[in-house]
Amino acid sequence: MLKKKGIYTLFAGLMILGLLLAGCSNESSGNESSQDAPAKKGNDLTVAVDANFISMDPHDTNDTLSGSAQRTMFQGLFGFGKDMEVVPVLAKDYKVNDDGTVYTFHLKEGITFHDGAPFNAEAVKVNIDRLANPDNHLKRHSLFAMVDSTEAVDEYTVKINLKKPFGAFINNLAHPAGRIISPKALKKYGDEVARNPVGTGPFKFKEWVPGDHLTVAKYDDYWEEDYPKVDKITFEPTPENGSRVAKLQTGAADFIYPVPPEQAKKIDGKNGIEVKAEPSIVVQYLAMNNRKEPFNDVKVRKAINLAINKEAFIKVVKSGFAKPLDSVIAPKTAFYSGQEVYKYNLEKAKQLLKEAGYADGFKTTVWGENNSTSMKGMQFIQQQLAEIGVEVEIVPMETGTMSEKIWSAKPNETELEMYYGGWSPSTGDADWGIRPLLGGKEAFPPQSYNTAYYSNDKVNELISKALLTADPKEREKYYAEMQKIIWDDAPWAFLSVDYTISGKKDYLKGVYLLPDGSLSTHDAKIEQ
Amino acid sequence: MVLRYISKRIIELIPILLVISILVFLFVHLIPGNPARLVAGKQATFQEVQSVAEELGLNEPIWKQYLSYMGGLFQGDLGTSLKTGRSVTDVIVSRFMPTFWLTIWSMAWSAVIGLLIGVVSATNRNKWQDFSGMFGAVSGISMPAFWLGLLLIQLFSVKLGWLPVGGNDSWQSYVLPAITLGTTVAAVIARFTRSSLMDTLKDDFVRTGRAKGLSERKVVWGHALRNAMIPIITMSGLQFGFLLGGSIVVEVVFSWPGLGSLLIDSISFRDYPVIQAELLLFALEFMLINLIVDLLYGIFNPRIRFD
Repeated sequence: MLKKKGIYTLFAGLMILGLLLAGCSNESSGNESSQDAPAKKGNDLTVAVDANFISMDPHDTNDTLSGSAQRTMFQGLFGFGKDMEVVPVLAKDYKVNDDGTVYTFHLKEGITFHDGAPFNAEAVKVNIDRLANPDNHLKRHSLFAMVDSTEAVDEYTVKINLKKPFGAFINNLAHPAGRIISPKALKKYGDEVARNPVGTGPFKFKEWVPGDHLTVAKYDDYWEEDYPKVDKITFEPTPENGSRVAKLQTGAADFIYPVPPEQAKKIDGKNGIEVKAEPSIVVQYLAMNNRKEPFNDVKVRKAINLAINKEAFIKVVKSGFAKPLDSVIAPKTAFYSGQEVYKYNLEKAKQLLKEAGYADGFKTTVWGENNSTSMKGMQFIQQQLAEIGVEVEIVPMETGTMSEKIWSAKPNETELEMYYGGWSPSTGDADWGIRPLLGGKEAFPPQSYNTAYYSNDKVNELISKALLTADPKEREKYYAEMQKIIWDDAPWAFLSVDYTISGKKDYLKGVYLLPDGSLSTHDAKIEQ
Repeated sequence: MVLRYISKRIIELIPILLVISILVFLFVHLIPGNPARLVAGKQATFQEVQSVAEELGLNEPIWKQYLSYMGGLFQGDLGTSLKTGRSVTDVIVSRFMPTFWLTIWSMAWSAVIGLLIGVVSATNRNKWQDFSGMFGAVSGISMPAFWLGLLLIQLFSVKLGWLPVGGNDSWQSYVLPAITLGTTVAAVIARFTRSSLMDTLKDDFVRTGRAKGLSERKVVWGHALRNAMIPIITMSGLQFGFLLGGSIVVEVVFSWPGLGSLLIDSISFRDYPVIQAELLLFALEFMLINLIVDLLYGIFNPRIRFD
C-alpha cells in the first residue's frame, strides 16, 4: 500500500513540476527580442525603489533615497551635475573673501516656493540659520556647523560668515542637505515639515502613504521654462529585487533602481527595457586595523593588497559592474588623483609576508554585513588570502549589531581586525571621502569611521591644510600628495569602485542616477 | 451569559498585557545596536549621534525610559517613531487595515479550500482523491511563501499580464498575495480536517446515523464534520493569529504597506517604540482570536458551556 502511495505521489509531483516549468519556460528561452510592451499611457512617471522613504525634510535626512525624492521638490543654491560637478541652481554667482571666511551669494530672481512665498535672501538666511543651530538637532547640522552667522544684505544678496575657513563649503551647500525649504512652511509646520515638504522645485508634494507610495505633481509656476516635462511622479518602495524587476517588466514602473547586478544582463533589451550601469563614487574596501598585529606592519598590508585579484573580485562579487579602485576615493570625487594599482602577485605577496616575519601566514577575522553581496565579497577575500597562508574567519553581522560592535569599543579595546565596507562621500568632495575614514585619531570609532585606525601625521597635516583654504588649486595639491601617501601606506586593501545600475523603459528619457546613487528626474520626458 | 463571559475574558487580558508590555520593552532594549547611530545615519558624526540620542531620550537610564513608556501607554500614547518622527499610533493605524484585509481574504479562501480538500480526502481514504489532496497539502506546507510569491508574479504579472505586481489599490492586487499567504494555511487545514474527520467517522454516532438510513452526505457534512470542527477551529484560529503577525515575507515580496513590512523596517532601524507597539498588538490579536475560537466552540458544540 505504502509503495503504491509513493508512486502516486511521485507521479503527481512530476506533473505539477511540469506545469510550473511550463509557466516559466518562456522566460528562460526568451530570446524573442521584445514581447511588445503595451504603449505608455499618459504623461506620468512611476519609479520603483528599494527602500522606504524616511523624511522629506532635507535638513534632517541622511539617506540618499529620501534625498532623491526631495530633489523633485527642493532646490539648493547649488547642486550636482551629471558627474558630481557643482553647478549653481538658485544662486546666480558667489564671491569669497581672501581668508575664505566670508561667502557672498547673489540669488536668482522671480522664483517662488510652492506655497507662494518668494525665494529671496531672507529665505536663505532662515534655512542656513536653522541648519547651523545645534539646538535644532538636525541630522545634517555637521555640514553647516562652521557657519558663524548669515546676513540678508538685500533682497537677493546673502552673506554667510564662517567661524574659520572651510575649503569644501560650496560642496556642502550643493549637498542635498543644503536645499532651501519655504520659510512660510517652516513656520507653519515646525518639525512636521518632514511630512509637508514645500520647496522651489519643478514638482510639488501631493501625497505620501508610507510603505506604499509618494507622489509629486507638476508645479505650474516653476521658474525654468518648459520644465517639468512630465505631469506626475510616483515613487513606489519595492524592497524585494524580484518584484522590482517584475514591475519594470510589466510596465507597472517606468524606471527602477537599483537593478540587482545578477539580473542586469538578463533583462536588458527585452520588454523594451534598457539597463544602464555607470561608475559611482562608492568605494569598496577592506580596512585593516593598523594598530594591531600583524596589520601594524606595512609589508603585511601591502601583501594583502597584492594577494587579492581585483579583476576576479569584480567578476565574482560585483557581476562585472565595478572597476578597480586606484586611490582612496573614486575618480568622480572632486580632487581625485589616481595611483598605480597593486597588481595581483602572489609571489611578491608571500615574499613580503616572509619579510614581515609571517612566512607561514596568520589567522585573522573579517567583519562585514550579513547580506548576500557582502557575504560573497568576504568569502572571496577568504579564498584569495588562503593562497598566501592567511586564514580568514568571516564574522557576518546584521547592520545594527555591527554598528554596536564597532562603535561601542575604544580604540585600544576593539576586537576589530579587518572590516569589509563601502563608503560614498555624499558631498562629492575629497574631504568627505578621506577625513572620516582615514583622518587620524579624531576619526577613530566611536568618533567617526576610521575603521583602519590609521593615523599618519603628514596626512593629518595635509587634511587640515586642505580644509583651511578655499583655493581649489591648493586643495588639489594637498589632496594629490595625501592620496599618494595613503596609497603607499595601504591602510586598506583597495577593492573597487561600484557602478550604479538602473533599468528603464525605452520611451523614458532624461532620468539618470548621479554617481552618488541619487536620482535625477529633472529632465524626465516620455517619448513614444 | 455569553456577554458576561466575554467581558470577564477581556478584563483578564489587562494584567497579561501588562506583563507582556514589560517583557516586550526589555526584549526590545536587549537587541544589540544603538538606535541613535542607526537613526543618525550611515555617515553621521559622533556629535550627530549624540545629538540624536539626546533628542530621542536614549541617554536616559533604562528604568526612566520604561516609566515614560508606561506613562504614555496608560494615556493611550504609544510614543513617537524614532526613525520617522511620526506618532506610533498613526503609523500602526495606517498599516493595520492592509494587513487585516489581506489576512481576511487569505483566511477565507484557505478555510474553504482546506476544508473541502480535507473532507474529500477523508471520505475517499486511500483513493486518488486522497493522494492528490494530501500531495497538494504537503507541497503547500513545504513551499516557501517567498518562492511561491515570486513564481506567481513571474507567471501572472510578467508572463500573462493579468494581475499587478504589488501595491494594494484594487481588488486585483489582493489576489496574488492572498494566494501566497493562504497556501500554507489551506494545506494545514486540509490535513487537520482529514485526520479529524476520519476519527469522527469511526465514532458510534456516525454508525447510528448510517444505520438510521441517513444519506452519506448528511452523515458527513451534517453530523461528522460538525463534530470534527473543534480541533479544526482551534488550528484555524492559531493560523489566523500567525497570519496577522506573520505576513512579513509576503508583504515584502508584494511591497504591501502592512504591519509585516513595517516590522522588518522597524527592526533594522531599532525603532523601539514601533517594535514595542507591534509586538503588543500581535499579542492582543492572539488573545482576541483565542477568545473568538472559544466562542465558536459553543456554536459547534452546544454542550460546551461558558463559565
